[in-house]
Amino acid sequence: MIRALSLFALASLLPAQNVTYDRLVHALNEQQNWLTYWGDYSAIRHRDLNQINTSNVKSLRADWIFQTGQPGTLETVPLVVDGVMYLTGGNGYAYALDARSGRQLWMYKHGFPPGRKGSGANRGFAILGDRLFMVTPDANVVALDARTGKLLWQTEMAEFHNGQYTATLAPLVIKDKVIAGISGAEFGIRGFIDAYDTATGKRAWRFWTVPAQGEPGGETWMADSWKRGGGSTWMTGTYDPELNTLYWGVGNPGPDLEGAVRKGDNLYTCSLVALDPDTGKLKWHFQFTPHDTHDWDAAETPMLLDLNWKGRDRKLVVQANRNAFFYVLDRETGEFLMGKPFARQDWATELDAKGRPILRARHEPAPEGSRTCPGLAGATNWMAPSYNPATRLFYFAVREQCDVYYTSPPVYIEGRPYFGSVERGVTEESEWGLLKALDPLTGETRWDFRYVHAPWAGTLSTSGGLIFAGDADGYLMAFDAKTGKNLWRFNTGSPIQNSPMSYMVKGRQYVTMPSGSAVLTFALPVE
Amino acid sequence: MRIACTAALFFCSSLAWSQSEADLADGKATFRSNCAFCHGLTGGGGRGPTLNSGRLLHGSTEQDIKNVVTNGVPGTSMPAFEFEKDELTRLVAYIRTLAESSAKSAPVTGDPVQGRKVYERSGCPACHRIGMEGSIYGPELTRVGAGRSSEYIRESIVNPSADIPQEYGGVTVVTRDGNRITGVRINEDTFTVQMRDPSQNFQMFRKDEVQQVIPETKSLMPAYSSLDKDDLQNLLAYLDTLRGDLHAGAGVTKAEGIR
Repeated sequence: MIRALSLFALASLLPAQNVTYDRLVHALNEQQNWLTYWGDYSAIRHRDLNQINTSNVKSLRADWIFQTGQPGTLETVPLVVDGVMYLTGGNGYAYALDARSGRQLWMYKHGFPPGRKGSGANRGFAILGDRLFMVTPDANVVALDARTGKLLWQTEMAEFHNGQYTATLAPLVIKDKVIAGISGAEFGIRGFIDAYDTATGKRAWRFWTVPAQGEPGGETWMADSWKRGGGSTWMTGTYDPELNTLYWGVGNPGPDLEGAVRKGDNLYTCSLVALDPDTGKLKWHFQFTPHDTHDWDAAETPMLLDLNWKGRDRKLVVQANRNAFFYVLDRETGEFLMGKPFARQDWATELDAKGRPILRARHEPAPEGSRTCPGLAGATNWMAPSYNPATRLFYFAVREQCDVYYTSPPVYIEGRPYFGSVERGVTEESEWGLLKALDPLTGETRWDFRYVHAPWAGTLSTSGGLIFAGDADGYLMAFDAKTGKNLWRFNTGSPIQNSPMSYMVKGRQYVTMPSGSAVLTFALPVE
Repeated sequence: MRIACTAALFFCSSLAWSQSEADLADGKATFRSNCAFCHGLTGGGGRGPTLNSGRLLHGSTEQDIKNVVTNGVPGTSMPAFEFEKDELTRLVAYIRTLAESSAKSAPVTGDPVQGRKVYERSGCPACHRIGMEGSIYGPELTRVGAGRSSEYIRESIVNPSADIPQEYGGVTVVTRDGNRITGVRINEDTFTVQMRDPSQNFQMFRKDEVQQVIPETKSLMPAYSSLDKDDLQNLLAYLDTLRGDLHAGAGVTKAEGIR
């Protein structure tokens, strides 16, 4: 009896999920788990799991489905820690599931103050120790007890202000800080990246993505346009522990399509910023689209690759940008190394030696409309790419679609879109999409697979020689990473706006793709 | 004193004038970017009805137009728009100027009774439906006179490929045994295609089970470019009279129930 009691007491002292910072740094040593939004800090989204492979993937089948029963489309990538799956839903919901059965362990529902609209998508959790961190549609950072789903602390990132500031991304934990970004550039906000103490929720630092007048970069904004300059930070960044540098993509300037009220380059919008995660100080920046007027924000994954670049091993950061160019930068210095178009684009003749686009005439939005490729949604977007170290290829979703961009005088009203106009698809042209395998050293396409519609789903690479991808018609698909041959597919019944992930529990490999309001998990049949 | 008053008055009225001028410019900008796509840059119509004829289908008062913009028109391609209150007022004010500012579209001349004969003689009912008669293969014409400008309809007859509504795009499937099946594409994804054939039947295919899937770049409707000038004018006059209720005949008859 005494012995049983003491065992019980001992067990209760051991944290159920002790995800240390060291485990996060070495997340790729735990191929069975998925410990950060990207699966690790570099965002290569490649799993060294090959139980499901090119020769048996045709037998892959749905193993379990978890229905949230909530409206909206799941945009979350779940975390999996030692057999437990943690995921966020839309509208402030979150869940813990048995990763083998999909059975619920707990559910959390964020408490919205009365009168506050509590709807919006969410992209996932970050974890440290036994604490989970998520953001909410009303721009709070929330810490939950991973064992119970109970609220530990919550911190308002910015005053909600009738819905100007919102948040959707999965936070990123570095050391003892949880780092999160903000959304709302369509509503006249001034963007930032924040770090909070994981223990207390107290803010440790803030990096304004739009500098004030008088600060470095402030001269790239006309008059006081910086005050509503946008620069959302709505997707998770990546991190290099060796360089102790955080990489974060910054969104578009506001008002989106009307540039006349904010003449100048509009730093640091549509840029990649490299920050010191301890202080939030800027180390370097690279602006992909100076003075953007097409909503081509740089929120796409800044993937960290260590490659041999022209005879020298270099630490690189690569990004397939919404503006239709694939970029390679040196991630120690921010030096521009290469930029190549990967989709139809007609707004720039080329990039100059420093990576600055040389613009073509007549592609600015206009009152009577101006047709430009790519469209407002971009030649790619937030859906995650992946990199396979065996094929040395970068796999990502391409959207082939153009728009007619209109301007009209922007009027700022608190809580209402501050957009400066609309865009409209060129309906005479049908859109299409591609899953593309690109050589990151040359920017050349190795193979592609054409979709009928432009996709909103990302990719996952595995050592089973497979690329998993989704499309706008609801298919989760598996492709041969070498050839691009479609080997398997399953229609999930809802357009997929998400990226697949994979994990292993008790020797069995699973592939998960949330779609619609359901989490679908696939595995090979048990012998 | 008097001079001051006059000056003030002048100043005030010029301010009021420039204000309403600015409002109309705002309304015009909103119109161009939201409405012109279907109703034409100056409201002459196109895919959507003309807005400059001075007779609007759902009423011409400010409130009538606001209702249509805010609620859309169910059963048609007119969507509901969410505008700020002031923005909506400026837009509607601009729409109401269209009838005054532009040359009114002339009433359609021609003989509708003769036009109906042309319609039947030319085989239109084999693909089109008016009320409960005709085929469901092509676009329904029950309300075409209300929904489309006459100019648009004329173009649709003599050169149907000029503007193909997305929901009537064509597709041809070549089966493994060489058969070609052409129809209206209902749905398509990367791996499957669903269409309606001219016999009004669904045809559904997996792409890996057929030889080829060819999107039709031209309209499935033949061009009636050789129609006699009078016949065409009479046909247009007939089509212009078609302003029926889309849901005519779709009434629900209630059973009396057990007494």
